[in-house]
Amino acid sequence: MATVTNWIDHLSAKEVAGAVYPGAGSSETLLVIIGIVLWIGWHVLTNNSESEELSRLARKKRGANDHKSNITDW
Amino acid sequence: MTDQLGALTTIFTEFYYWITVVLMFLIHVGFCMYEVGASRYKHHQHTLMKNTMLIPLVTVTWFFFGWWIYWAFPTGPGLAPSIMNESAALITDESTFSAKWYLPNTEFMAVNLQDHISGVFWAAFLLFSWTAASIVSGAIIERITTFAFGILAIAIGSVFWTIDAAWGWHFDGWMLKLLGYHDAYASGVIHAIAGGFALGVLMVLGPRIGKFSSSGEPRNIGPRNPWLVTIGLFLIYTGFWGFYAACNIPIFDLGPEYGMEGVTFWTATNIYVTPTTLSGITMNFLMSLSGGLLAGYVIAKGDPFWTYSSGLAGVICASAGNDLYHPIQAMIIGMIGVVIAYKLHYWVERKFKIDDAVGAVAVHGYAGVVGLIICGFVLNGYPSSGYSVGAMWDGSTYASINPLGQFIGAIIMFLVLGLIPGYVLAKILNGMGKLRIPRDVEIAGLDYEMMESAKSDEKAVSSATR
Repeated sequence: MATVTNWIDHLSAKEVAGAVYPGAGSSETLLVIIGIVLWIGWHVLTNNSESEELSRLARKKRGANDHKSNITDW
Repeated sequence: MTDQLGALTTIFTEFYYWITVVLMFLIHVGFCMYEVGASRYKHHQHTLMKNTMLIPLVTVTWFFFGWWIYWAFPTGPGLAPSIMNESAALITDESTFSAKWYLPNTEFMAVNLQDHISGVFWAAFLLFSWTAASIVSGAIIERITTFAFGILAIAIGSVFWTIDAAWGWHFDGWMLKLLGYHDAYASGVIHAIAGGFALGVLMVLGPRIGKFSSSGEPRNIGPRNPWLVTIGLFLIYTGFWGFYAACNIPIFDLGPEYGMEGVTFWTATNIYVTPTTLSGITMNFLMSLSGGLLAGYVIAKGDPFWTYSSGLAGVICASAGNDLYHPIQAMIIGMIGVVIAYKLHYWVERKFKIDDAVGAVAVHGYAGVVGLIICGFVLNGYPSSGYSVGAMWDGSTYASINPLGQFIGAIIMFLVLGLIPGYVLAKILNGMGKLRIPRDVEIAGLDYEMMESAKSDEKAVSSATR
């Protein structure tokens, strides 16, 4: 996975390759796909949990000042 | 980098933008404090998290496609040919400034020993994106779902503002060429578009429960914590310094860039590669801030909320031309913007029952639009781009700055890329039943369950014996 194993060899090359991260030149597209899946997945997960939370809270029919009894002293 | 002067210039530029990014982070800290201060106790934590989560959402989407849009869209596409390849298509060819290099899977979107600038430039623009999304966030507090806000934040932060930046900020942008559009510190490309987008969303979202009486009279739901609002706005001012610096290119030899043989002229430039100085824009920033504060204090009769916001509106209004204005021009323009924005805010609120919880549409949208229009008159005749004056490209391909071009530009920013997309997206989310939280939740408070749980914990801890 290491793109560079010897900095002296790397920097003294006739043309120094700029990309030095692990998997340079071979892993970028896969990383982007994984990143997009994680991003979309986050929306799906949080949307589901938010909908559930909002429905649960709406069913309780609390009044506008009910939260005041939940104010903590700490 | 093999020669020392070149290396110093590059590393200085890299460090310069890095500093601006750190400073601009304070804008977001300020927006978070401001929103929490403006929201009611029972909505505090959700309000904070909504604004916080735009950071990762806009960042990852800016990485995936936002930055690519900026480099791909300067021609429209189809509105004006590129000065690089003479094509009006998307710029995705092999040229130096092509979007091709900014796809998320290219080697320039990472640590690259041959490229010290792309990453910090990407980050500086990203912080502008956060600002655009955060402006919208404040207007819609206490009644929007986090899901809907996330989608809207991505839309304004990683799509619409970056299209407007490609059109009106990029050195190859069609608005510069055809309209002579000039907007050095983003009266339009950030503020007018974000204000317009917020207004579009508000038109669909509706007011907070209780904001208007049964007869339609607006009620004041003032800031819950004025001190947090105060510190928040001061932090936004502070971050705005970084924003101004980030809109400049810190060091540039314009002689060869403009094709002037034998001429060397090192200077800072604005984003259009026309000369300005960090020194001069610092004076203008402070004078427009002062103009805004002075006018705001008078028109709002000393109300701190509006006075602080007016300082911001003053800077926003003068920003379009603050690279060239005289400081007193900047001050007067700031004053004019504040008076118009303040009056319009209350007129729109009464007339159309729009509940903009923090005055974001006025401070950013109206002041930004006014600033663009004034800039067209005050800077009428100046070159809109550095590339219209030299032989590097093909001569006079850019219109000069002019009132009509700035007016059309203001409409594009506020209405075409701001209000209309915001309205349409909000309509879609509303149609899906995802835009607004249920009425009973709004009444109870978004934080009700969190507070209830904290109270239970407190009781358990206080009754514990070990």
